[in-house]
Amino acid sequence: MIEFTHVFKRYPGGFDALRDINLRVEAGEMAFITGHSGAGKSTLLRLITAIDRPTRGEAAVNGKNLTKLPRRRIPYFRREIGVVFQDHKLLLDRTVYDNVALPLIVTGAAQNEIPRRVRAALELVGLLDKERMYPLTLSGGEQQRVGIARAVVNKPPLLLADEPTGNLDSKLSDEILDLFIDFHHHGVTVLIATHDLHLIDRARQRVIELNHGELVRDSGAGT
Amino acid sequence: MIKNYFLRHAQVFFFTLGQLWRTPVATTLTVAVIGITLALPAGLYVALENVQRLAHGWEDNGQISLFLKQELSDPAIEKLSAKIRKLPAVSWVDFVSREAALAEFKKLSGFGEALGSLDRNPLPPVLVVHPHAKHANPEALQALLKDLRAYSEVELAQLDLEWVRRLYAMLDLARQGVLILTAGLAMAVLLIIGNTIRLAVLNRRDEIEIIKLIGGTNAFIRRPFLYAGAVQGLLGAILAWLLVGIGLLILSGPVHRLASLYGSLFVVENMGFLATLALIGTGGLLGWLGSRLAVGRHLRVIEPR
Repeated sequence: MIEFTHVFKRYPGGFDALRDINLRVEAGEMAFITGHSGAGKSTLLRLITAIDRPTRGEAAVNGKNLTKLPRRRIPYFRREIGVVFQDHKLLLDRTVYDNVALPLIVTGAAQNEIPRRVRAALELVGLLDKERMYPLTLSGGEQQRVGIARAVVNKPPLLLADEPTGNLDSKLSDEILDLFIDFHHHGVTVLIATHDLHLIDRARQRVIELNHGELVRDSGAGT
Repeated sequence: MIKNYFLRHAQVFFFTLGQLWRTPVATTLTVAVIGITLALPAGLYVALENVQRLAHGWEDNGQISLFLKQELSDPAIEKLSAKIRKLPAVSWVDFVSREAALAEFKKLSGFGEALGSLDRNPLPPVLVVHPHAKHANPEALQALLKDLRAYSEVELAQLDLEWVRRLYAMLDLARQGVLILTAGLAMAVLLIIGNTIRLAVLNRRDEIEIIKLIGGTNAFIRRPFLYAGAVQGLLGAILAWLLVGIGLLILSGPVHRLASLYGSLFVVENMGFLATLALIGTGGLLGWLGSRLAVGRHLRVIEPR
């Protein structure tokens, strides 16, 4: 699903965010990317979602070579990836329902399909009764679950999460983690960037550790 | 599939209308500025059309008035008239007798009383020569005029077309001026719409960023802005049309009074159906184009962080 070989990322100004990363994540795997702040976790996710391109090396995601992907193909490439953000990035002027429906509208899903799929996604995260509400009236954990519902509503084969539990207490974090594990069990490739060691311990999955832009530990495929 | 496509466009369209409705002040200001900007060339166009219509009546008067010598007898006039009628350049000849000329003059000039006190009719008999349409060009008319002047019975031959031609030249100049003005104001509309849409894009920066992240194409992101631009352009054009209409309504009274003083039945006319269509179409097109230019530039800048 993800294959990085000798990937370097240097930002303008000469800062090396990633150095010589070799990484392979198989389809259906679940893995954590960890490391201190600025270790390169976010950069790695930015490369996988084609927000940034590698400075050197080869990177392929979902069978697409990221160094050669034409700009106009990027939207279609991103439709295969669900992304969960630390700050959930919900549209505050739209209801929960409309937020979750957004990827379906963007990809031009059939009109009569949309309500069914939005409600399926909301049911998955346990928010079916909140579809008429606006994000700001929800708690932090609920907002994050709306973000997750939006990320999976298109049934992407790859799910990325950037510090998905960053703003949540441990009980809510556990609930969120359980959701990700559930998706993993349904065959979705799940990649979570986090420095929440409690989360990593509890999940007992593969851990990839970055330090100053280098890959310093890869526990290999987890149990 | 096609049905789905139109349904999606309709959704975006109504969503856009809703957004414009929710920001009434900004929308009204934009529409008002566009309306006034478009009303200027549209109004000038209507004014030109009216002047031209007025002048058109005079152009047909490509006729030559022959003022004959006072003492000429009726049979002599009849003979002359027949002779002129046979000229190849002449279509027909009207005869205005001295009595008829006096009666008409009394009626139109308002000097009836004064003329009645004269002991004899001061007006000469007149032959009005109408040239053939194909001889209506300036050179042929000039040649004809020269021929007619050669008759000894003719006191004075007058071709009063020079000023009509000058008026036409002026109208041509004015039309070019309106064209240039229209081009300039069209640019202004593009900039107005462009700026409005630029602000709208920046206001919805977060939304655009998210849509890009979940795989929205640029065309998808552009669509609501293009609709917003086109709708505001259309509304602006409709407002311009209304402004011109109101202006004409205000002017029609005084124009009618002025025209009746000249014994004319001239009434101002609003722009025709096609011109209205062109105005509204231009408004929509300019809105769309201005929005397209602005969105294209600003979309590239907004990339997910």
